[in-house]
Amino acid sequence: MRPHLLALGAIVVVGLLAVAGVHDAVLLDLLFTLLLYAVLGQSWNWISGYAGNISFGHAIFFGCGAYAAALCVTHGLSPWLAFGLGALVAAALALVTGFPTLALRGHYFSIATIAVAALIDAFVRVSPWLGKANGFELPIAPGWANLQFAQKGPYVVLALALFALVQLATIGLERSRLGYYLRALRANHAAAASVGIDERRWKLIAFAWSAVMASAAGVLYAQYNLFVDPPSTIALAISIDIALIGVVGGIGTLWGPAVGALVYVVLAKGVALKFGGAGKGYDLVIYGAIICLIAALRPRGIVGTVVDAIRRRRGATA
Amino acid sequence: MEALTTFAQLLASGLLTGLVFALVAVGLTLVYGVMDVVNFAHGEFLMLAMYAALGLALVGIGPLLGLPLVAIALFLFGIVVYRLFVRRLLAGPPEATVFGTFGLLVLLQGIAQAVFSSDFLSAPRPPFQGTIRFAGLAVSQATVVEGIGALLLTAGLYAFVEYTETGRAMRAVAEDRIAATLMGIDVQRINGLAFGMGAACVGAAGALLMLSYPVYPTAGASFALTAFVVVALGGFGSIQGALVGALLVGMLEVFGGYYLSPELKMVPVFLAYLVVVLLRPQGLLGRR
Amino acid sequence: MPVRRRCLALAAALAVSAIPFGRTQAADQPVIVIGSILPLTGASAQTGAGLRAAQQLAADLVNGHVSYPLPMVGKNGLPHLHARIKLVFADSQGKPDQARAAAEQLITQEHAVALIGCYISSTTATASQVAERYGIPFLNPDSSAPGLTARGLKWFFRSTPSDATFAENFYQFFADLKRTKKVDVKKVAILGEDGLFGTGASDAEEDIGKHRGYDIVTRIAYPATTTEVNAEVQKVKSAAPDVIMMASYLPDALLYMRGFKDQNVQPKAIMAQDAGFIDPGFIKAEGADAEGIFTREVFSLAIKHRNQAVPLIDQLFRQRFGDKSLDGNTARDFMGVLVLADAIDRAGSTKPDAIRTALAATNIPGNLTLMPWKSIKFDAQGQNEGGAGIIEQIQGGKYETVWPFDIATKASIWPMPAWKR
Repeated sequence: MRPHLLALGAIVVVGLLAVAGVHDAVLLDLLFTLLLYAVLGQSWNWISGYAGNISFGHAIFFGCGAYAAALCVTHGLSPWLAFGLGALVAAALALVTGFPTLALRGHYFSIATIAVAALIDAFVRVSPWLGKANGFELPIAPGWANLQFAQKGPYVVLALALFALVQLATIGLERSRLGYYLRALRANHAAAASVGIDERRWKLIAFAWSAVMASAAGVLYAQYNLFVDPPSTIALAISIDIALIGVVGGIGTLWGPAVGALVYVVLAKGVALKFGGAGKGYDLVIYGAIICLIAALRPRGIVGTVVDAIRRRRGATA
Repeated sequence: MEALTTFAQLLASGLLTGLVFALVAVGLTLVYGVMDVVNFAHGEFLMLAMYAALGLALVGIGPLLGLPLVAIALFLFGIVVYRLFVRRLLAGPPEATVFGTFGLLVLLQGIAQAVFSSDFLSAPRPPFQGTIRFAGLAVSQATVVEGIGALLLTAGLYAFVEYTETGRAMRAVAEDRIAATLMGIDVQRINGLAFGMGAACVGAAGALLMLSYPVYPTAGASFALTAFVVVALGGFGSIQGALVGALLVGMLEVFGGYYLSPELKMVPVFLAYLVVVLLRPQGLLGRR
Repeated sequence: MPVRRRCLALAAALAVSAIPFGRTQAADQPVIVIGSILPLTGASAQTGAGLRAAQQLAADLVNGHVSYPLPMVGKNGLPHLHARIKLVFADSQGKPDQARAAAEQLITQEHAVALIGCYISSTTATASQVAERYGIPFLNPDSSAPGLTARGLKWFFRSTPSDATFAENFYQFFADLKRTKKVDVKKVAILGEDGLFGTGASDAEEDIGKHRGYDIVTRIAYPATTTEVNAEVQKVKSAAPDVIMMASYLPDALLYMRGFKDQNVQPKAIMAQDAGFIDPGFIKAEGADAEGIFTREVFSLAIKHRNQAVPLIDQLFRQRFGDKSLDGNTARDFMGVLVLADAIDRAGSTKPDAIRTALAATNIPGNLTLMPWKSIKFDAQGQNEGGAGIIEQIQGGKYETVWPFDIATKASIWPMPAWKR
């Protein structure tokens, strides 16, 4: 536990130094994106990694936060309220959709998440109060009260705080009863059930917390981009990006999502720079190939593989 | 009276639409039944088949003549994908097959976009473009041909699995992999064959769909999403279940679109999926 | 006239070979950077590549010395500033958040004095907000969502007409037909995919139609990725409209065509909002059944009757871009660069305020553009109030311009011919 806290502390310090020392808007933008994706990846990791229910619809919780922020702002309320409102709606959505579906295993659950996300998407597109396909554009009004800033620094600080909170929560999860139960359920649900672990109850708790984290990221995203519409928040493509980050880094590991987000951001920028002008599907080819390779050769992802290697080493020396 | 005619027309359209869905779904259910894998790249196999059929059409080989060729090509492609890739996924943790085939989906879409660009391409002057009219109802010839194809494919696959030696081996592997190995069945060979046959089915489907759809890199995706629902409704692994599920989904979509709202037409379909997997997780006709 | 045209064609050919020469000669001139944001990767990458080529061609012609009947072209750069313009491109990937980051990068790192882009409406929305925040003029030559100019932005200008104008054009066309051919349109059905494009187009068609007293008998939004449209076709059939207005991509457009033919839905006209109906695959797939379909367009080579630069620029563009002809999107983006160059030159300064003031005072007559517009003049919201579209009809397997009448290549056929089966 100590080394994890130290690592997290180091990241926070480096992040704050970067905010203080770097005035390059592009670099800070990358940093913000990286932290946001790391939070989303970790949120996905709670339900898909630790609990083992692979979700392909996680963007709907991200969307809860983003739309909560948009609705608050357009109704003259403070976007700070959106953290609470978005979290409430996301948690409620997680409980309502999770209650029936979390007991489903493997692809049954995965397809159910796609179906639920498609239903939510259709619902948003027919609801005038949710902006239909047009979405919302938020007016420019910088200031702490409006959770909106002319500079990148405060956004990065907020994203860093959110990231630290989520990592702390996950460190807590790994050592908590909930964490043990989830891993037991993932390893062998029948055996876990036979010793009295209530699968639905514990997975619902994890799902709700996971939704709350994604929703908080959604609020920051909306306030940062000042634009919310279905394709940029709740679409299947966003859900796929989130799952990709979780898988690449290593599912069910503490640092997997952060590493996955780093790989994703570097790749996304790298591919765009290298092949940008060509205008072909090379980015998809590279992402697809990476997921395929990881799935076939290193299904535990980058961090999972490293952790295994360290364990083997320790085992050998001990 | 007019309301009645409309209802009858929707019924006919819904059933035919369902048959088109069955055409795509039957290969998916075979693969699932034998090796417990939902191939998330199923729609991309369909897309590749459509490009192959288009290529044949451009050199003058029509969809019906081209159908066996595309099916054989996809059969070989399926075996290669199994040998090189899916086999490894099966050896890993259970979630590896879910995100592995998902990665294949992204990869194949990317390759199609790089090679063929994202333009929509249609077969030049395909046959069966007329309308069949009877008793005040009208259906498209192309859809009828696709529907007949779906019925033949389903019947053929059912007969194969039930009555041939290899089919029996597939059922044995589906029921109990370890027992099948002990009985001397080469599980890897059977798996590879099943994966190849699933791909061949979707190859046949792709050739027929070129009668009425253009092809583009994400052309398979919307069909695949429906196919997942179809297969789950009918029962993962049940061939006749896929047919029943597809007819149900076709009618839900068409009636939902008319009596509810076109933009909400997928709502009854997805709700049906959720209700069935919750109340009867094995699907309508599935065992297990 | 033919002799003069040949001379111009020769000049065009010379211009291409002369551009590198012009560049070296002008190398000591200062360079003014215009930032361009386009979808260079992702699903719209192909369109993005064309837009990029069109913008670059415009910039090269501004920096070159061959003149055409177009503003700012052939003066070896911007004469008042003794400077050349340089386009720096950034990729939006077609995503709003990437477009925002791209705008940020162009303003802070490339020191762009103005931005142009971004084609996809949602990316234009976020990128223009960044420009607003930094106080940098933003010219949007190619996004048609009506809401973009209703945001009260101070630094945002749009040279293309919006979907509202295109919808208005349909009804103006009906009014003109009523006058000239005694054609009476009453009942209108509106069909549109449920994305930003279809929703925006359908909203405008519905609002303007109601306002002008038409009977909107049905309004249908459907998922763009649908694989069947049986219910939608039945709904249209029950509504029995005179005219069907459609905002569809190619796969769904083909599904509707099949459905209409099967179910014998025979309107007097189908009025399409380009997209699927101007895809090269549409006529190829529909053959004789495509005859008589109307579609709005933003550009046509027929505009050569108004400005003889049209075929010449088209020729230059094809030399650069794989023999693909100039189209509505590339022509609009070409003009966008000229509009910005014109404003920066008149501003006589690279100060954002001066450029903004000059942009707001833009006044380019329609016959000095490649477009069917009356003029380029921005209203208080930054919308070009002289914008207009054209209406084409498929006749003899080709898109013929039928409205506005002064650039029409053929008279319209009304009602459209009956389905062939």
